[in-house]
Amino acid sequence: MFKILVVEDDKDLNFTVCSFLGRSGYEAVGCRDAESAYDEMYRTTFDLIVSDIMMPGIDGFEFAKTVRSLNSDIPILFMTARDDFAAKQRGFRIGIDDYMTKPIDLDELFLRIGALLRRSKIASSRRLEVGAFVMDADERSATLDGEEIALTAREFDLLYKLLSYPKKTFTRTQLMDEFWDVDTQSGTRTVDVYMTKLRSKLSRCEDFEIQTVHGLGYKAVIK
Amino acid sequence: MKGEGRARFLLRILNRFFTIFLIVAFVITASTMLFVSVLSVTLELTLTGENLGLAAKLTFANTVLLSLLFTAIDLLRHHLTVERPVKKITEAAERMIAGDFTVRIKSSPPGFTDGHFNEIIDCINKVAEELSGVETLRTDFIANVSHEMKTPLAAIRNYGKLLEAPSLPEEERVAHARAIIDATRRLSDMMTNVLKLSRLENQKIYPKAERYDLGEQLCEELLQYETVWEGRGIEIETEIEEGVTVRADRELLSLVWSNLFSNAFKFTERGGKVTLRLFVDGGYAVVRVEDTGCGMSPEVGAHIFEKFYQGDTSHAAAGNGLGLPLVKRVVDILQAEIAVESTVGEGSVFTVRIGRDKNGLQENR
Repeated sequence: MFKILVVEDDKDLNFTVCSFLGRSGYEAVGCRDAESAYDEMYRTTFDLIVSDIMMPGIDGFEFAKTVRSLNSDIPILFMTARDDFAAKQRGFRIGIDDYMTKPIDLDELFLRIGALLRRSKIASSRRLEVGAFVMDADERSATLDGEEIALTAREFDLLYKLLSYPKKTFTRTQLMDEFWDVDTQSGTRTVDVYMTKLRSKLSRCEDFEIQTVHGLGYKAVIK
Repeated sequence: MKGEGRARFLLRILNRFFTIFLIVAFVITASTMLFVSVLSVTLELTLTGENLGLAAKLTFANTVLLSLLFTAIDLLRHHLTVERPVKKITEAAERMIAGDFTVRIKSSPPGFTDGHFNEIIDCINKVAEELSGVETLRTDFIANVSHEMKTPLAAIRNYGKLLEAPSLPEEERVAHARAIIDATRRLSDMMTNVLKLSRLENQKIYPKAERYDLGEQLCEELLQYETVWEGRGIEIETEIEEGVTVRADRELLSLVWSNLFSNAFKFTERGGKVTLRLFVDGGYAVVRVEDTGCGMSPEVGAHIFEKFYQGDTSHAAAGNGLGLPLVKRVVDILQAEIAVESTVGEGSVFTVRIGRDKNGLQENR
Protein backbone atom coordinates (compact mmCIF):
# COMPACT_ATOMS: atom_id res chain seq x y z
CA MET A 1 0.00 0.00 0.00
CA PHE A 2 1.33 3.46 -0.90
CA LYS A 3 2.06 5.74 2.03
CA ILE A 4 1.26 9.43 1.67
CA LEU A 5 2.33 12.23 3.99
CA VAL A 6 -0.07 15.16 4.19
CA VAL A 7 1.39 18.40 5.58
CA GLU A 8 -1.35 20.96 6.10
CA ASP A 9 -1.89 23.28 9.06
CA ASP A 10 -5.66 23.57 8.75
CA LYS A 11 -7.21 20.87 10.91
CA ASP A 12 -10.35 20.28 8.85
CA LEU A 13 -8.60 20.26 5.53
CA ASN A 14 -5.92 17.93 6.86
CA PHE A 15 -8.53 15.57 8.27
CA THR A 16 -10.69 15.49 5.13
CA VAL A 17 -7.76 14.94 2.78
CA CYS A 18 -6.34 12.16 4.97
CA SER A 19 -9.63 10.37 5.39
CA PHE A 20 -10.43 10.68 1.69
CA LEU A 21 -7.05 9.24 0.75
CA GLY A 22 -7.54 6.52 3.38
CA ARG A 23 -10.83 5.50 1.80
CA SER A 24 -9.27 5.62 -1.66
CA GLY A 25 -6.80 2.89 -0.76
CA TYR A 26 -3.79 4.83 0.41
CA GLU A 27 -2.26 5.00 3.85
CA ALA A 28 -2.31 8.71 4.70
CA VAL A 29 -0.54 10.34 7.64
CA GLY A 30 -1.40 13.93 8.51
CA CYS A 31 1.00 16.50 9.99
CA ARG A 32 0.14 20.04 11.00
CA ASP A 33 3.60 21.54 10.45
CA ALA A 34 6.92 20.82 8.82
CA GLU A 35 8.70 19.94 12.09
CA SER A 36 6.38 17.03 12.84
CA ALA A 37 6.55 16.04 9.17
CA TYR A 38 10.33 15.67 9.50
CA ASP A 39 9.75 13.46 12.57
CA GLU A 40 7.27 11.27 10.67
CA MET A 41 9.65 10.95 7.74
CA TYR A 42 12.41 9.92 10.10
CA ARG A 43 10.25 7.04 11.36
CA THR A 44 8.59 5.93 8.13
CA THR A 45 9.34 5.93 4.42
CA PHE A 46 6.69 7.65 2.35
CA ASP A 47 5.89 7.27 -1.33
CA LEU A 48 4.49 10.75 -1.86
CA ILE A 49 4.12 14.08 -0.05
CA VAL A 50 1.18 16.47 -0.26
CA SER A 51 2.12 19.83 1.26
CA ASP A 52 0.64 23.24 1.91
CA ILE A 53 2.79 26.35 1.31
CA MET A 54 1.64 28.83 3.91
CA MET A 55 2.23 27.20 7.28
CA PRO A 56 3.41 28.53 10.61
CA GLY A 57 7.15 28.10 11.19
CA ILE A 58 8.83 26.39 8.27
CA ASP A 59 6.83 27.09 5.10
CA GLY A 60 6.14 24.71 2.24
CA PHE A 61 8.94 26.03 0.02
CA GLU A 62 11.52 25.52 2.75
CA PHE A 63 10.09 22.09 3.58
CA ALA A 64 10.09 20.94 -0.05
CA LYS A 65 13.65 22.20 -0.51
CA THR A 66 14.88 20.24 2.51
CA VAL A 67 13.04 17.09 1.43
CA ARG A 68 14.40 17.42 -2.13
CA SER A 69 17.94 17.79 -0.87
CA LEU A 70 17.60 14.51 1.04
CA ASN A 71 15.51 12.57 -1.46
CA SER A 72 15.53 13.49 -5.11
CA ASP A 73 12.86 10.99 -6.14
CA ILE A 74 9.88 11.31 -3.84
CA PRO A 75 6.96 13.05 -5.62
CA ILE A 76 5.87 16.28 -3.93
CA LEU A 77 2.49 17.87 -4.65
CA PHE A 78 1.76 21.39 -3.46
CA MET A 79 -1.81 22.03 -2.34
CA THR A 80 -2.13 25.76 -1.76
CA ALA A 81 -4.31 28.85 -1.80
CA ARG A 82 -1.64 30.76 -3.68
CA ASP A 83 -2.61 30.84 -7.33
CA ASP A 84 -0.06 33.33 -8.57
CA PHE A 85 2.43 32.32 -11.17
CA ALA A 86 5.38 33.37 -9.00
CA ALA A 87 4.51 30.80 -6.34
CA LYS A 88 4.09 28.05 -8.93
CA GLN A 89 7.35 28.96 -10.54
CA ARG A 90 9.19 28.97 -7.24
CA GLY A 91 7.70 25.59 -6.35
CA PHE A 92 8.65 23.92 -9.60
CA ARG A 93 12.16 25.40 -9.41
CA ILE A 94 12.62 23.81 -6.02
CA GLY A 95 11.63 20.53 -7.62
CA ILE A 96 8.04 19.83 -6.76
CA ASP A 97 6.12 17.57 -9.15
CA ASP A 98 2.61 18.97 -9.17
CA TYR A 99 0.61 21.92 -7.96
CA MET A 100 -3.06 22.27 -7.02
CA THR A 101 -4.90 25.40 -5.98
CA LYS A 102 -7.31 25.43 -3.05
CA PRO A 103 -10.11 24.71 -2.78
CA ILE A 104 -9.00 21.43 -4.26
CA ASP A 105 -11.25 18.86 -5.84
CA LEU A 106 -10.55 15.61 -3.97
CA ASP A 107 -11.33 13.48 -7.01
CA GLU A 108 -8.77 15.42 -8.97
CA LEU A 109 -6.27 15.05 -6.14
CA PHE A 110 -6.81 11.30 -6.32
CA LEU A 111 -6.19 11.25 -10.09
CA ARG A 112 -3.08 13.35 -9.81
CA ILE A 113 -1.64 11.27 -6.99
CA GLY A 114 -2.26 8.17 -9.09
CA ALA A 115 -0.43 9.70 -12.04
CA LEU A 116 2.45 10.89 -9.86
CA LEU A 117 2.92 7.47 -8.28
CA ARG A 118 2.74 5.83 -11.67
CA ARG A 119 5.41 8.13 -13.08
CA SER A 120 7.52 7.73 -10.00
CA LYS A 121 7.38 3.96 -10.45
CA ILE A 122 8.30 4.31 -14.11
CA ALA A 123 11.12 6.67 -13.16
CA SER A 124 12.54 4.35 -10.53
CA SER A 125 12.17 1.08 -12.43
CA ARG A 126 12.96 2.67 -15.79
CA ARG A 127 10.35 0.32 -17.23
CA LEU A 128 6.94 0.99 -18.62
CA GLU A 129 4.27 -1.63 -19.19
CA VAL A 130 0.97 -1.22 -20.97
CA GLY A 131 -0.72 -4.59 -21.31
CA ALA A 132 1.52 -6.70 -23.56
CA PHE A 133 3.64 -3.72 -24.55
CA VAL A 134 6.84 -3.12 -22.57
CA MET A 135 9.40 -0.33 -22.84
CA ASP A 136 12.75 -0.47 -21.10
CA ALA A 137 14.47 2.87 -20.78
CA ASP A 138 17.92 1.46 -19.93
CA GLU A 139 18.08 -0.94 -22.86
CA ARG A 140 16.01 1.45 -24.96
CA SER A 141 14.01 -1.49 -26.20
CA ALA A 142 10.32 -1.89 -26.91
CA THR A 143 8.62 -5.26 -27.06
CA LEU A 144 5.10 -6.36 -27.88
CA ASP A 145 4.23 -9.86 -26.63
CA GLY A 146 7.97 -10.40 -26.15
CA GLU A 147 8.64 -9.54 -29.78
CA GLU A 148 11.03 -6.64 -30.37
CA ILE A 149 9.75 -3.57 -32.18
CA ALA A 150 12.53 -1.54 -33.75
CA LEU A 151 12.23 2.13 -32.82
CA THR A 152 14.64 4.95 -33.53
CA ALA A 153 15.92 6.89 -30.51
CA ARG A 154 13.52 9.76 -31.12
CA GLU A 155 10.55 7.49 -31.71
CA PHE A 156 11.35 5.74 -28.46
CA ASP A 157 11.58 9.04 -26.54
CA LEU A 158 8.31 10.32 -27.99
CA LEU A 159 6.42 7.15 -27.18
CA TYR A 160 7.95 6.86 -23.71
CA LYS A 161 6.84 10.40 -22.98
CA LEU A 162 3.29 9.89 -24.21
CA LEU A 163 2.88 6.63 -22.31
CA SER A 164 4.31 8.12 -19.11
CA TYR A 165 1.45 10.62 -19.17
CA PRO A 166 -1.47 8.68 -20.58
CA LYS A 167 -4.47 10.77 -21.66
CA LYS A 168 -2.46 13.96 -21.44
CA THR A 169 -2.23 15.82 -24.73
CA PHE A 170 1.12 17.27 -25.73
CA THR A 171 1.29 19.97 -28.35
CA ARG A 172 3.70 19.55 -31.23
CA THR A 173 5.81 22.40 -29.89
CA GLN A 174 6.06 20.82 -26.45
CA LEU A 175 7.33 17.59 -28.01
CA MET A 176 9.70 19.42 -30.36
CA ASP A 177 11.15 21.45 -27.50
CA GLU A 178 11.91 18.31 -25.58
CA PHE A 179 13.24 15.98 -28.26
CA TRP A 180 14.65 18.14 -31.01
CA ASP A 181 17.59 20.55 -30.92
CA VAL A 182 16.73 24.15 -30.19
CA ASP A 183 18.10 25.34 -33.51
CA THR A 184 16.37 22.69 -35.56
CA GLN A 185 15.24 23.88 -38.96
CA SER A 186 12.30 21.51 -39.22
CA GLY A 187 8.81 22.82 -38.51
CA THR A 188 6.42 21.38 -35.98
CA ARG A 189 4.77 19.26 -38.68
CA THR A 190 7.80 16.97 -38.44
CA VAL A 191 6.14 15.58 -35.32
CA ASP A 192 3.23 14.45 -37.50
CA VAL A 193 5.61 12.39 -39.62
CA TYR A 194 6.99 10.67 -36.52
CA MET A 195 3.51 9.94 -35.20
CA THR A 196 2.50 8.35 -38.50
CA LYS A 197 5.60 6.12 -38.37
CA LEU A 198 4.94 5.18 -34.75
CA ARG A 199 1.34 4.28 -35.54
CA SER A 200 2.31 2.00 -38.38
CA LYS A 201 5.00 0.29 -36.28
CA LEU A 202 2.50 -0.25 -33.48
CA SER A 203 -0.41 -1.25 -35.68
CA ARG A 204 -0.62 -4.67 -34.02
CA CYS A 205 -0.72 -3.23 -30.51
CA GLU A 206 -4.20 -3.17 -29.07
CA ASP A 207 -3.49 -2.00 -25.56
CA PHE A 208 -3.19 1.67 -26.40
CA GLU A 209 -3.36 4.05 -29.30
CA ILE A 210 -1.89 7.39 -30.22
CA GLN A 211 -4.65 9.89 -30.87
CA THR A 212 -4.52 13.19 -32.71
CA VAL A 213 -6.36 15.88 -30.79
CA HIS A 214 -8.04 18.24 -33.26
CA GLY A 215 -4.84 19.54 -34.75
CA LEU A 216 -3.68 20.62 -31.30
CA GLY A 217 -1.40 17.75 -30.40
CA TYR A 218 -1.08 14.07 -29.55
CA LYS A 219 -1.90 11.80 -26.65
CA ALA A 220 -1.66 8.13 -25.79
CA VAL A 221 -4.90 6.52 -24.67
CA ILE A 222 -4.72 3.22 -22.85
CA LYS A 223 -7.61 0.91 -23.69
CA MET B 1 -18.69 81.76 18.68
CA LYS B 2 -21.67 83.71 17.52
CA GLY B 3 -20.46 86.87 19.27
CA GLU B 4 -17.07 86.40 17.74
CA GLY B 5 -18.61 86.01 14.30
CA ARG B 6 -20.63 89.16 14.77
CA ALA B 7 -17.58 91.10 15.97
CA ARG B 8 -15.67 89.93 12.95
CA PHE B 9 -18.56 90.94 10.73
CA LEU B 10 -18.66 94.41 12.30
CA LEU B 11 -14.94 94.75 11.95
CA ARG B 12 -15.21 93.83 8.30
CA ILE B 13 -17.92 96.43 7.72
CA LEU B 14 -15.87 98.99 9.58
CA ASN B 15 -12.82 98.17 7.55
CA ARG B 16 -14.75 98.45 4.35
CA PHE B 17 -16.41 101.65 5.45
CA PHE B 18 -13.07 103.16 6.34
CA THR B 19 -11.58 102.27 2.98
CA ILE B 20 -14.54 103.68 1.10
CA PHE B 21 -14.50 106.77 3.33
CA LEU B 22 -10.85 107.39 2.53
CA ILE B 23 -11.50 107.06 -1.17
CA VAL B 24 -14.59 109.25 -1.14
CA ALA B 25 -12.90 111.82 1.11
CA PHE B 26 -9.89 111.93 -1.18
CA VAL B 27 -12.01 112.30 -4.31
CA ILE B 28 -14.27 114.97 -2.78
CA THR B 29 -11.38 116.90 -1.24
CA ALA B 30 -9.42 116.86 -4.45
CA SER B 31 -12.35 117.95 -6.63
CA THR B 32 -13.54 120.56 -4.13
CA MET B 33 -10.04 122.01 -3.81
CA LEU B 34 -9.73 122.22 -7.57
CA PHE B 35 -13.20 123.71 -7.94
CA VAL B 36 -12.69 126.26 -5.17
CA SER B 37 -9.21 127.36 -6.29
CA VAL B 38 -10.36 127.78 -9.89
CA LEU B 39 -13.42 129.71 -8.66
CA SER B 40 -11.40 131.96 -6.39
CA VAL B 41 -8.99 132.85 -9.17
CA THR B 42 -11.70 133.70 -11.75
CA LEU B 43 -13.91 135.59 -9.30
CA GLU B 44 -10.93 137.09 -7.47
CA LEU B 45 -12.31 136.03 -4.14
CA THR B 46 -10.27 135.58 -1.04
CA LEU B 47 -11.40 132.67 1.01
CA THR B 48 -11.09 132.73 4.74
CA GLY B 49 -11.61 130.02 7.33
CA GLU B 50 -14.84 131.71 8.37
CA ASN B 51 -16.67 131.60 5.07
CA LEU B 52 -15.48 128.08 4.44
CA GLY B 53 -16.36 126.72 7.91
CA LEU B 54 -19.95 125.73 7.26
CA ALA B 55 -19.28 124.40 3.77
CA ALA B 56 -16.42 122.27 5.10
CA LYS B 57 -18.57 120.76 7.83
CA LEU B 58 -21.38 120.06 5.37
CA THR B 59 -18.99 118.46 2.88
CA PHE B 60 -17.52 116.30 5.62
CA ALA B 61 -21.00 115.13 6.67
CA ASN B 62 -21.77 114.54 3.01
CA THR B 63 -18.63 112.44 2.63
CA VAL B 64 -19.55 110.30 5.62
CA LEU B 65 -23.08 109.85 4.30
CA LEU B 66 -21.88 108.94 0.82
CA SER B 67 -19.35 106.49 2.26
CA LEU B 68 -22.09 104.84 4.30
CA LEU B 69 -24.27 104.55 1.21
CA PHE B 70 -21.43 103.10 -0.82
CA THR B 71 -20.60 100.63 1.94
CA ALA B 72 -24.18 99.45 1.98
CA ILE B 73 -24.26 99.07 -1.81
CA ASP B 74 -20.94 97.26 -1.75
CA LEU B 75 -22.16 94.90 0.94
CA LEU B 76 -25.21 94.06 -1.13
CA ARG B 77 -23.11 93.51 -4.23
CA HIS B 78 -20.71 91.33 -2.32
CA HIS B 79 -23.55 89.31 -0.88
CA LEU B 80 -25.18 88.72 -4.26
CA THR B 81 -22.17 88.09 -6.46
CA VAL B 82 -19.71 86.42 -4.10
CA GLU B 83 -21.27 85.11 -0.92
CA ARG B 84 -24.27 83.50 -2.55
CA PRO B 85 -22.38 81.43 -5.17
CA VAL B 86 -19.69 80.56 -2.61
CA LYS B 87 -22.36 79.37 -0.22
CA LYS B 88 -24.04 77.30 -2.96
CA ILE B 89 -20.72 75.70 -3.86
CA THR B 90 -19.66 74.93 -0.30
CA GLU B 91 -23.08 73.46 0.51
CA ALA B 92 -22.90 71.21 -2.53
CA ALA B 93 -19.36 70.17 -1.67
CA GLU B 94 -20.41 69.34 1.86
CA ARG B 95 -23.23 67.14 0.61
CA MET B 96 -20.79 65.36 -1.69
CA ILE B 97 -18.41 64.83 1.22
CA ALA B 98 -21.34 63.28 3.06
CA GLY B 99 -21.77 60.86 0.14
CA ASP B 100 -24.65 62.47 -1.72
CA PHE B 101 -23.62 62.62 -5.35
CA THR B 102 -27.03 63.68 -6.67
CA VAL B 103 -26.38 67.39 -6.04
CA ARG B 104 -26.31 69.74 -9.00
CA ILE B 105 -25.67 73.47 -8.52
CA LYS B 106 -27.73 75.97 -10.50
CA SER B 107 -25.44 78.51 -12.14
CA SER B 108 -26.17 82.16 -11.37
CA PRO B 109 -27.66 84.38 -14.11
CA PRO B 110 -24.88 86.12 -16.05
CA GLY B 111 -24.23 89.72 -15.08
CA PHE B 112 -25.42 89.00 -11.59
CA THR B 113 -22.22 87.31 -10.71
CA ASP B 114 -18.63 87.00 -11.59
CA GLY B 115 -18.44 84.63 -14.59
CA HIS B 116 -15.66 82.61 -12.93
CA PHE B 117 -18.06 81.24 -10.35
CA ASN B 118 -20.14 79.72 -13.11
CA GLU B 119 -17.04 77.98 -14.42
CA ILE B 120 -16.40 76.49 -10.98
CA ILE B 121 -20.04 75.46 -10.71
CA ASP B 122 -19.92 73.67 -14.08
CA CYS B 123 -16.80 71.79 -12.97
CA ILE B 124 -18.37 70.71 -9.70
CA ASN B 125 -21.48 69.52 -11.49
CA LYS B 126 -19.34 67.38 -13.78
CA VAL B 127 -17.45 65.93 -10.80
CA ALA B 128 -20.74 65.07 -9.11
CA GLU B 129 -22.03 63.41 -12.26
CA GLU B 130 -18.90 61.28 -12.63
CA LEU B 131 -18.91 60.33 -8.98
CA SER B 132 -22.55 59.33 -9.03
CA GLY B 133 -21.80 57.04 -11.97
CA VAL B 134 -18.96 55.39 -10.05
CA GLU B 135 -21.13 55.20 -6.97
CA THR B 136 -23.91 53.35 -8.81
CA LEU B 137 -21.35 50.88 -10.13
CA ARG B 138 -19.93 50.40 -6.65
CA THR B 139 -23.28 49.80 -4.96
CA ASP B 140 -24.32 47.50 -7.79
CA PHE B 141 -21.04 45.68 -7.43
CA ILE B 142 -21.51 45.18 -3.70
CA ALA B 143 -25.12 44.10 -4.18
CA ASN B 144 -24.04 41.63 -6.83
CA VAL B 145 -21.13 40.26 -4.85
CA SER B 146 -23.38 39.73 -1.85
CA HIS B 147 -25.96 38.00 -3.97
CA GLU B 148 -23.43 35.80 -5.67
CA MET B 149 -21.77 34.89 -2.39
CA LYS B 150 -24.80 34.48 -0.23
CA THR B 151 -26.74 32.27 -2.58
CA PRO B 152 -24.26 29.38 -2.57
CA LEU B 153 -23.64 29.89 1.15
CA ALA B 154 -27.34 29.60 1.83
CA ALA B 155 -27.47 26.46 -0.28
CA ILE B 156 -24.55 24.93 1.61
CA ARG B 157 -26.13 25.73 4.93
CA ASN B 158 -29.50 24.29 3.95
CA TYR B 159 -28.10 21.08 2.54
CA GLY B 160 -25.94 20.73 5.65
CA LYS B 161 -29.07 21.08 7.72
CA LEU B 162 -30.83 18.44 5.64
CA LEU B 163 -27.85 16.10 6.06
CA GLU B 164 -28.21 16.36 9.82
CA ALA B 165 -31.46 14.40 9.67
CA PRO B 166 -30.89 10.96 11.21
CA SER B 167 -32.59 8.61 8.73
CA LEU B 168 -31.85 9.92 5.30
CA PRO B 169 -32.29 7.71 2.24
CA GLU B 170 -28.95 6.97 0.64
CA GLU B 171 -29.65 8.66 -2.70
CA GLU B 172 -30.83 11.84 -0.97
CA ARG B 173 -27.70 11.94 1.14
CA VAL B 174 -25.54 11.64 -1.96
CA ALA B 175 -27.59 14.28 -3.79
CA HIS B 176 -27.31 16.74 -0.91
CA ALA B 177 -23.58 16.21 -0.60
CA ARG B 178 -23.20 16.76 -4.32
CA ALA B 179 -25.21 19.99 -4.12
CA ILE B 180 -22.86 21.24 -1.39
CA ILE B 181 -19.86 20.43 -3.54
CA ASP B 182 -21.40 22.27 -6.50
CA ALA B 183 -22.15 25.34 -4.39
CA THR B 184 -18.61 25.51 -3.02
CA ARG B 185 -17.24 25.17 -6.51
CA ARG B 186 -19.31 28.11 -7.68
CA LEU B 187 -18.25 30.12 -4.66
CA SER B 188 -14.60 29.39 -5.14
CA ASP B 189 -14.68 30.17 -8.86
CA MET B 190 -16.22 33.49 -8.05
CA MET B 191 -13.74 34.27 -5.30
CA THR B 192 -10.87 33.51 -7.64
CA ASN B 193 -12.26 35.89 -10.24
CA VAL B 194 -13.03 38.64 -7.73
CA LEU B 195 -9.51 38.42 -6.38
CA LYS B 196 -7.93 38.40 -9.81
CA LEU B 197 -10.05 41.33 -10.88
CA SER B 198 -9.28 43.38 -7.80
CA ARG B 199 -5.61 42.60 -8.18
CA LEU B 200 -5.79 43.88 -11.73
CA GLU B 201 -7.80 46.95 -10.77
CA ASN B 202 -6.06 48.06 -7.62
CA GLN B 203 -2.47 47.51 -8.49
CA LYS B 204 -0.58 49.33 -11.06
CA ILE B 205 0.20 46.60 -13.49
CA TYR B 206 3.52 46.47 -15.18
CA PRO B 207 3.09 43.80 -17.80
CA LYS B 208 6.15 41.65 -18.16
CA ALA B 209 6.61 41.59 -21.89
CA GLU B 210 8.24 38.54 -23.39
CA ARG B 211 8.29 37.25 -26.93
CA TYR B 212 6.50 33.98 -27.44
CA ASP B 213 4.56 31.81 -29.86
CA LEU B 214 0.90 32.77 -29.58
CA GLY B 215 -0.36 29.68 -31.41
CA GLU B 216 1.35 27.41 -28.94
CA GLN B 217 -0.16 29.24 -26.00
CA LEU B 218 -3.62 28.97 -27.56
CA CYS B 219 -3.17 25.22 -28.11
CA GLU B 220 -2.07 24.66 -24.54
CA GLU B 221 -4.92 26.74 -23.11
CA LEU B 222 -7.51 25.04 -25.29
CA LEU B 223 -6.23 21.63 -24.20
CA GLN B 224 -7.20 22.48 -20.63
CA TYR B 225 -10.78 21.96 -21.78
CA GLU B 226 -10.17 18.58 -23.41
CA THR B 227 -12.17 16.71 -20.78
CA VAL B 228 -15.04 19.18 -21.20
CA TRP B 229 -15.40 18.78 -24.94
CA GLU B 230 -14.90 15.03 -24.77
CA GLY B 231 -17.49 14.69 -22.02
CA ARG B 232 -20.07 16.81 -23.81
CA GLY B 233 -19.36 15.68 -27.34
CA ILE B 234 -18.48 19.14 -28.60
CA GLU B 235 -16.73 19.31 -31.95
CA ILE B 236 -13.47 21.27 -32.08
CA GLU B 237 -12.08 23.01 -35.11
CA THR B 238 -8.73 24.74 -35.13
CA GLU B 239 -7.09 26.85 -37.77
CA ILE B 240 -3.87 28.17 -36.30
CA GLU B 241 -1.37 29.98 -38.43
CA GLU B 242 2.14 28.90 -37.50
CA GLY B 243 4.91 31.12 -36.24
CA VAL B 244 2.77 33.99 -34.99
CA THR B 245 4.61 35.58 -32.12
CA VAL B 246 3.61 38.38 -29.79
CA ARG B 247 5.51 40.41 -27.25
CA ALA B 248 3.24 40.47 -24.22
CA ASP B 249 2.72 39.29 -20.67
CA ARG B 250 2.13 35.58 -21.08
CA GLU B 251 0.30 35.07 -17.81
CA LEU B 252 -2.07 38.00 -18.30
CA LEU B 253 -2.89 37.00 -21.85
CA SER B 254 -3.60 33.43 -20.79
CA LEU B 255 -6.41 34.83 -18.60
CA VAL B 256 -8.03 36.14 -21.77
CA TRP B 257 -7.91 32.81 -23.60
CA SER B 258 -9.00 30.71 -20.65
CA ASN B 259 -12.02 32.93 -20.04
CA LEU B 260 -13.03 33.02 -23.69
CA PHE B 261 -12.71 29.23 -23.98
CA SER B 262 -14.55 28.59 -20.76
CA ASN B 263 -17.41 30.80 -21.95
CA ALA B 264 -17.50 29.16 -25.35
CA PHE B 265 -17.82 25.72 -23.75
CA LYS B 266 -20.27 26.93 -21.13
CA PHE B 267 -22.75 28.17 -23.69
CA THR B 268 -22.32 25.45 -26.28
CA GLU B 269 -24.80 22.61 -26.15
CA ARG B 270 -23.94 18.94 -26.47
CA GLY B 271 -23.05 18.24 -30.08
CA GLY B 272 -22.20 21.87 -30.80
CA LYS B 273 -18.93 23.20 -32.13
CA VAL B 274 -16.19 25.50 -30.90
CA THR B 275 -13.78 26.98 -33.40
CA LEU B 276 -10.43 28.57 -32.67
CA ARG B 277 -8.66 30.61 -35.32
CA LEU B 278 -5.40 32.50 -35.29
CA PHE B 279 -4.29 34.55 -38.25
CA VAL B 280 -2.21 37.58 -39.11
CA ASP B 281 -3.81 40.83 -40.24
CA GLY B 282 -1.22 43.47 -41.00
CA GLY B 283 0.57 44.32 -37.78
CA TYR B 284 -1.93 42.37 -35.70
CA ALA B 285 -2.42 38.83 -34.57
CA VAL B 286 -6.13 38.08 -34.63
CA VAL B 287 -7.65 35.38 -32.45
CA ARG B 288 -11.25 34.32 -33.05
CA VAL B 289 -13.16 32.08 -30.68
CA GLU B 290 -16.46 30.96 -32.17
CA ASP B 291 -19.17 28.87 -30.57
CA THR B 292 -22.51 27.54 -31.68
CA GLY B 293 -24.14 28.36 -28.37
CA CYS B 294 -27.24 30.32 -27.53
CA GLY B 295 -25.81 33.65 -28.69
CA MET B 296 -27.09 36.96 -27.41
CA SER B 297 -29.01 40.03 -28.46
CA PRO B 298 -27.22 43.31 -29.25
CA GLU B 299 -28.56 44.74 -25.96
CA VAL B 300 -26.92 41.94 -24.01
CA GLY B 301 -23.77 42.20 -26.12
CA ALA B 302 -23.40 45.85 -25.19
CA HIS B 303 -23.14 45.03 -21.50
CA ILE B 304 -21.22 41.79 -21.24
CA PHE B 305 -17.95 43.49 -20.34
CA GLU B 306 -19.53 45.03 -17.24
CA LYS B 307 -19.01 43.42 -13.88
CA PHE B 308 -21.68 40.94 -12.84
CA TYR B 309 -23.69 41.55 -15.92
CA GLN B 310 -25.19 38.29 -17.01
CA GLY B 311 -27.18 37.93 -20.17
CA ASP B 312 -29.14 35.30 -18.31
CA THR B 313 -30.75 37.33 -15.56
CA SER B 314 -31.87 34.24 -13.69
CA HIS B 315 -28.20 33.49 -12.93
CA ALA B 316 -28.96 29.99 -14.14
CA ALA B 317 -25.77 29.48 -16.10
CA ALA B 318 -22.81 28.50 -13.99
CA GLY B 319 -20.95 31.78 -14.46
CA ASN B 320 -20.46 34.66 -12.11
CA GLY B 321 -20.37 37.60 -14.50
CA LEU B 322 -16.76 38.41 -13.82
CA GLY B 323 -14.98 36.54 -16.58
CA LEU B 324 -15.48 39.03 -19.39
CA PRO B 325 -14.76 42.15 -17.30
CA LEU B 326 -11.51 40.43 -16.39
CA VAL B 327 -10.82 39.80 -20.08
CA LYS B 328 -11.64 43.40 -20.93
CA ARG B 329 -9.37 44.70 -18.21
CA VAL B 330 -6.45 42.60 -19.40
CA VAL B 331 -7.08 43.53 -23.03
CA ASP B 332 -7.00 47.21 -22.02
CA ILE B 333 -3.80 46.79 -20.05
CA LEU B 334 -2.13 45.06 -23.00
CA GLN B 335 -3.47 47.69 -25.41
CA ALA B 336 -5.25 45.09 -27.46
CA GLU B 337 -8.83 45.14 -28.72
CA ILE B 338 -11.75 42.84 -28.19
CA ALA B 339 -15.02 42.69 -30.08
CA VAL B 340 -18.01 40.40 -30.06
CA GLU B 341 -20.49 39.50 -32.79
CA SER B 342 -23.43 37.38 -31.89
CA THR B 343 -26.77 36.17 -33.17
CA VAL B 344 -29.39 34.78 -30.84
CA GLY B 345 -29.70 31.04 -31.37
CA GLU B 346 -26.67 30.80 -33.63
CA GLY B 347 -23.70 31.52 -31.42
CA SER B 348 -21.08 34.13 -30.66
CA VAL B 349 -17.72 35.12 -32.06
CA PHE B 350 -15.16 36.87 -29.90
CA THR B 351 -12.31 38.52 -31.75
CA VAL B 352 -9.14 39.72 -30.05
CA ARG B 353 -6.63 41.79 -31.98
CA ILE B 354 -3.21 42.17 -30.48
CA GLY B 355 -0.13 43.80 -31.92
CA ARG B 356 2.21 41.04 -33.10
CA ASP B 357 5.93 40.84 -32.99
CA LYS B 358 7.02 41.24 -36.59
CA ASN B 359 10.68 40.43 -36.00
CA GLY B 360 9.67 37.06 -34.62
CA LEU B 361 7.77 36.20 -37.76
CA GLN B 362 10.66 37.01 -40.01
CA GLU B 363 13.06 34.95 -37.95
CA ASN B 364 10.76 31.99 -38.06
CA ARG B 365 10.30 32.10 -41.78
